Amino acid sequence: MADVLFKGTPAHTSGELPKVGSKAPDFKLTAGDLSEVSLANFKGKKKLLSIVHSLDTGVCANSTKRFNDFAKNRADVVVLVVSCDLPFAQARFCGAEGIKNVVTLSMMRDRHFAKDYGVLMTDSPLAGLCGRSTLVLDENDKVLYTQLGPELTVEPDYDKALAVLK
Amino acid sequence: MATIAHRGNTVHTIGELPAVGSPAPDFRLTDANLNDVSLADFRGKKKLLNIFPSIDTPTCAQSTRKFNEHAAKHPNAVIMMVSADLPFAQQHFCSAENTHNVKTLSMMRDRHFAKDYGVLLLDGLYQGITARAIVVIDEHDKVVYTELVPEIRQEPNYEQALAALK
Repeated sequence: MADVLFKGTPAHTSGELPKVGSKAPDFKLTAGDLSEVSLANFKGKKKLLSIVHSLDTGVCANSTKRFNDFAKNRADVVVLVVSCDLPFAQARFCGAEGIKNVVTLSMMRDRHFAKDYGVLMTDSPLAGLCGRSTLVLDENDKVLYTQLGPELTVEPDYDKALAVLK
Repeated sequence: MATIAHRGNTVHTIGELPAVGSPAPDFRLTDANLNDVSLADFRGKKKLLNIFPSIDTPTCAQSTRKFNEHAAKHPNAVIMMVSADLPFAQQHFCSAENTHNVKTLSMMRDRHFAKDYGVLLLDGLYQGITARAIVVIDEHDKVVYTELVPEIRQEPNYEQALAALK
């Protein structure tokens, strides 16, 4: 369990983020075409996981645009934007915003990803969704960098996350 | 378990809709303000639950518009759109389409509602979200009408559902 803040009020996640240096847990998430994907689908690439509570909220939308800009010139990196939004909402958002350089993945089928990555919110108005987190994985799925919150309504530290991918 | 079709393919739900004449199962769902609501919050009113896979897909959107048109004619009833969409997506739709006569409720926190009402899909492209169904509940929380739409892409029978509210 980790402590975060939602609009200044203490809130909690179900567990801890994977540790830096450990191998990232595999996952099963649902892509825009409703197919299931796992870490193995992105074999050989560095991964930036941007875990957000919903693309239909302002901060999550901003971070997705920011990472989309970054991904434009980085064929060696795949940006995975993971949320509990249904794939239909993720596709609507990306279509409206012209976002084409990130892969959106949904927890529509279950919350196993959120539990395995320790980011499921267990209280606060966002209970059942994910705490805002950023993870960077290397080509072999080793965790190089993580950030959780600490305030769920604030954007992640882009500079630190992207510096790891230099 | 009930057998229905999605785009012509056979799919299955986890259970059966509540039987007509039985007490409606209580539920906990999340409204647009991220507050949890239960059946008791609508005590003394007739309730129509329009359950569907996602407000960001055409048939569900169409049914929301239809019920929104009719809601004004049923002042003693609450017409609720229930889905696994996050409240943010439901709000996005209702603001864009001005469908403020219906109430949207989300399964963002868990799928208990989908299980208790027997509408969770166990397989097919929509595994993890719900089939399309209508449940009408009277002032005393007794189920008076149900429809499980046999092909998910089809619209529900509006006339019969609204007649059950009279």
